[in-house]
Amino acid sequence: MGMLSIYLKPNFLGLLKFLNSVNWCIVLFSLINLSECIYEDQIGKFDWRQTYVGRVKFAQFDTVSTAKKIIVATEENVLAALNLKTGQVMWRHVFESASTGNIQLLHVSEKLVTVSGSNPYLVRRWEPATGVLLWEWSLTLQNEEYAEFSEWWVQNGLLVHMLPIFGSHIEVSMYNLMTGQNRGSTSKLPAIWINEGCALSVPYYTCISGEAGSQQILSVDVTSNSVQIINKPLSDLVQTHEGILRSLDGNSIIPAFILNEKKLVIIKNNQFEVTKVALGDTLASVTIADGTGEPMVIQTWSDSSKGFHLKAHSIATGNDIPEIHCTENIVNIPDPEISGTMCTKSAKDQLVCRILVTAADDSLQLMQQEGKILWSREEALANVVAVEFVDLPVSDLDAAIESEFDQKEGSIWAAFSRRLHTQYQQLQALIQSLQRPEGTKEEDTSPLVRDYFNLHKIIVLVTDVGKIFGMDNLSGAILWKLYEPNLDTEGVVMFTRRSARHPPHDAYLTIVGKHEETSNGLIISLNPVRGTLVGERILHLDVQVMQCTILHQTDNEKLHALLLLDKYENVQVFPQFSAPLVENMFLYVAEKNTAKVQGYALTYDGKEVIAQKTWSINLGGDSNSRHRIVKVVAKSPSERVHSHGKVLGDRSVLYKYINPNLVLFVTEGPDPIHKDVVVATCVDAVSGVVAAAQAHRRARALPLAVHTDNSLAYVYYNDKHRRTEIATMELYEGKQRWLAAGAAFSSLASERAPGVERQAYILPAAPTAAASTDTERSLTDKHVLLALSTGAIVEMPWLYLEPRRPVTPSPEQREEGLVPYAPELPLPSEAVINYNRTLHRINSIYTAPSGLESTSLVLATGLDLFYTRVAPSKTFDLLKDDFDYYLITVVLAALILASYSTKYFASRKMLKLAWK
Amino acid sequence: MRRNFFPNLILIMSFNYSNYYICIDYDGWLNIKIEHSINCKSEKYCQRGNVSLKSIRAGTSVIEQIDFNQQHIDELKSLAELDGFYSIRTTVTSAENNKGTEFLSSMKAQAFLENGLSDVINAWVLPSGGVIAVSFQTTNNTQSIHHNGKAFKIYSNFYLRHIDQAPVPDTASYIQKLEREREAREKGEMKDNRSFLAKYWMYIVPFAIFVMISGATNPEPTAQATR
Repeated sequence: MGMLSIYLKPNFLGLLKFLNSVNWCIVLFSLINLSECIYEDQIGKFDWRQTYVGRVKFAQFDTVSTAKKIIVATEENVLAALNLKTGQVMWRHVFESASTGNIQLLHVSEKLVTVSGSNPYLVRRWEPATGVLLWEWSLTLQNEEYAEFSEWWVQNGLLVHMLPIFGSHIEVSMYNLMTGQNRGSTSKLPAIWINEGCALSVPYYTCISGEAGSQQILSVDVTSNSVQIINKPLSDLVQTHEGILRSLDGNSIIPAFILNEKKLVIIKNNQFEVTKVALGDTLASVTIADGTGEPMVIQTWSDSSKGFHLKAHSIATGNDIPEIHCTENIVNIPDPEISGTMCTKSAKDQLVCRILVTAADDSLQLMQQEGKILWSREEALANVVAVEFVDLPVSDLDAAIESEFDQKEGSIWAAFSRRLHTQYQQLQALIQSLQRPEGTKEEDTSPLVRDYFNLHKIIVLVTDVGKIFGMDNLSGAILWKLYEPNLDTEGVVMFTRRSARHPPHDAYLTIVGKHEETSNGLIISLNPVRGTLVGERILHLDVQVMQCTILHQTDNEKLHALLLLDKYENVQVFPQFSAPLVENMFLYVAEKNTAKVQGYALTYDGKEVIAQKTWSINLGGDSNSRHRIVKVVAKSPSERVHSHGKVLGDRSVLYKYINPNLVLFVTEGPDPIHKDVVVATCVDAVSGVVAAAQAHRRARALPLAVHTDNSLAYVYYNDKHRRTEIATMELYEGKQRWLAAGAAFSSLASERAPGVERQAYILPAAPTAAASTDTERSLTDKHVLLALSTGAIVEMPWLYLEPRRPVTPSPEQREEGLVPYAPELPLPSEAVINYNRTLHRINSIYTAPSGLESTSLVLATGLDLFYTRVAPSKTFDLLKDDFDYYLITVVLAALILASYSTKYFASRKMLKLAWK
Repeated sequence: MRRNFFPNLILIMSFNYSNYYICIDYDGWLNIKIEHSINCKSEKYCQRGNVSLKSIRAGTSVIEQIDFNQQHIDELKSLAELDGFYSIRTTVTSAENNKGTEFLSSMKAQAFLENGLSDVINAWVLPSGGVIAVSFQTTNNTQSIHHNGKAFKIYSNFYLRHIDQAPVPDTASYIQKLEREREAREKGEMKDNRSFLAKYWMYIVPFAIFVMISGATNPEPTAQATR
């Protein structure tokens, strides 16, 4: 036996060692489980996707197919079919976002033909019902110089391309639409009278030419074989000597144009004919539609006093057609533009019209003849520039309870009476809820209130055109919208200045942008729950804003003051009486193109807030180095740090360098030896001290970076290896704490530089957006969300991006759970959070914490909007979706029953025993 | 003969420094002019000192700074009372950059006084030789202001910080590791050609013992099962 144990012992140890080495395998397997994916029945349960097409450029009704639809081509280079009844996207093709995807022509008859690109052009035919591409051929122009003025249309089965060369001639080429064969040679019509102010009204090209005072109006049918120029002195048509031409909108059926924004002139039998139709407004959008029998002029415009107008006139008589008339202020459509019309006669010989209207706010409306809107699409949402998640207010009842427990002072009797009062209220609410009939839904009347887990929020979205939306995050429904035409949204920022947690005060959100014309500051303050303007409302500053922020402290109305640093380094505080609260405030201003960064300290001197420039650095080296800042990422102001250190395998603690003021700057610039260099610099924004920096040679920066806790990651393109890589950094204080536990960190009093762990990984995809998950207390793991050009959003655990991943892990490192190094990052399909719902052109991902620690809310914006929630460490604080409440109730009840019955039987047995 | 001397010297120096791994493509002199905002008569900034480096690659610096007099200290004290900043403007000139780049840095006057006028100067240098930041920070110095007759001495430490080249994805060592693992596996397979019993005796013997013991202790159960 003794011998056996001697033999066994080393082998037993070997077994243990083997098990230990298997350890990291276990870690790996557990990692595989980390990647979240959902079950089939959970599709659409926590997430929604909204598809958009962008501002409509061309639209035509497809009346030939059985399923009636509208084919649209948009400014976003999207070709799509919209359902005529609902406005939903039936099919959609997203072309390249560059000029190669630019749609030049949309033609719908039995066939759907598009011309897209810019020299070479692609002529494509699509199946209108399914959107399948049937054929395509390409077309290259010889004369590229004037290509941007070229015009396309389809006439008699031929694709016509017209290229006006101003002051010289018109080149017209015709191609067989099916084969792409050129019908003969390109014809050149001599026309020295053409200029930039000409208008095309297919097939006529009309210009005003000549000396001032004796101007002629000339027009030519560019497609006819015999060149016949229609010529008339301008004074014959209008009294003035000046002339401005404008083409009509929305696929006019008769060649016509608008002269001097007043007169509608049609070309009939090679003659100009001024119609009797009066234009309602100088900016009216006019089209000529087939009114089944006689052509009619439909025009629409909006003015500030009466709002939207829609009118139609007979072209022959100039009489008003009363069936199409809308002057009542039922809808508000800013600067409407007719994109397409379709009129038919109904069975009762009534005129039925469908008018597609695009507004200045990019919205798309389909109207009936009386101006009744059948459906509308908010295409502004295809260009979201800023997003903020806003908490909902608590219900009145909860607010009462909260205020009850808030009040600390007061006598015991006051507290007692308050208690009685609130209980009475609760009783009332209960009775009311009981009295309410079963059928009526609560949703219709109930105000938006916070749910128990704070998962229900409002998403405020600012779009490129200046339209602001409030959206319900659970359903994606638009709750309110506000259009501000003067808002230039370049670099717009949004601040939640007061959350809804402070009843009776409402939530308060401020948007700081620029004025469209003056570039001065424009501040919009609103209530994010209802969309009504509050406080400063729409405030137009008389100076350009350089930087803005909100104060940490609140005033007595729980409002964070807004601080603006203007171009002349003056500070403005809104509201003004909050100025004395400014204390220990620091700002930084980064110039994008010169890579110069400056820091300011804001102090209150008893009268006003002054900004003192305290530091300035030049990330490019010197001012003519042509370095530019590609991305600046600071930590989220609401970020919390859960743990200050990491426990290593040898049971020591590696303390994190957690500096809330740290900002990552990613710059890019030319280099004499290495072509381009990318430099990542971590700067303390308060003291201006560089904490860490690293440089990449032969690389180009991408504007994607993540900065959270002590970890940073940014994406760059490696020119040498022609691949996208992601560099990660982690900053550590070391094994010893610099400050005592709980001591406040001060940027101005720490001169030590942190240790930096760095690593780079290959990203085998092209990312378009990056963000890190955000939870309330940061207990949950951090995952990085990467949007890829393939249309997927991948959830990448930080464990993979960790710079401390060792090539050959030591036992301690294995125990710590470090994954062995692999140069390429895995992108498993299970980690795609939008499963098979492809998202086009994602440009940003926004995350927000929810009331559940495990869950982070995610909104991806781009051409589409996609909302979901992710749980990086799984839903540890939530029961599973398919949790069997019924079973557990039955089991519990059965157990209780069983315990009582056995008790009864036991006592009976005891009794029997006692009698024996 | 004299002409040959210089290239030789440079050669020797570069041999010396090739031992260090400093990723800098360019070497040259660097001069940092330091100006501060206290006790200047009419201008906003006046001379505080100068840091000069013969070679960026070597990083050895010569710091010359003025001594503070009582007026300097008084002005610093009045700044400290307001919790104000003591600002330092630096102008960096090098062989490539004759015009000079200006940087600004500030310290809390209070902290500067408390730490006996000692500070740390960090200058960050790009691989191309350009300086991106010069920052001043107070150090934790317990000694009070050193009074030397009439003058007060400033204690400055200058560090030239090179921006490192970032790591690239380490494919080579990963492939090597895979190779090694593969070789180890192949070797292991070749070596381990012992018989089945020799390999797995430690599992077989306990099992056999277990069977034997269980067979020896209760031979009856089969008989009982028939009951």
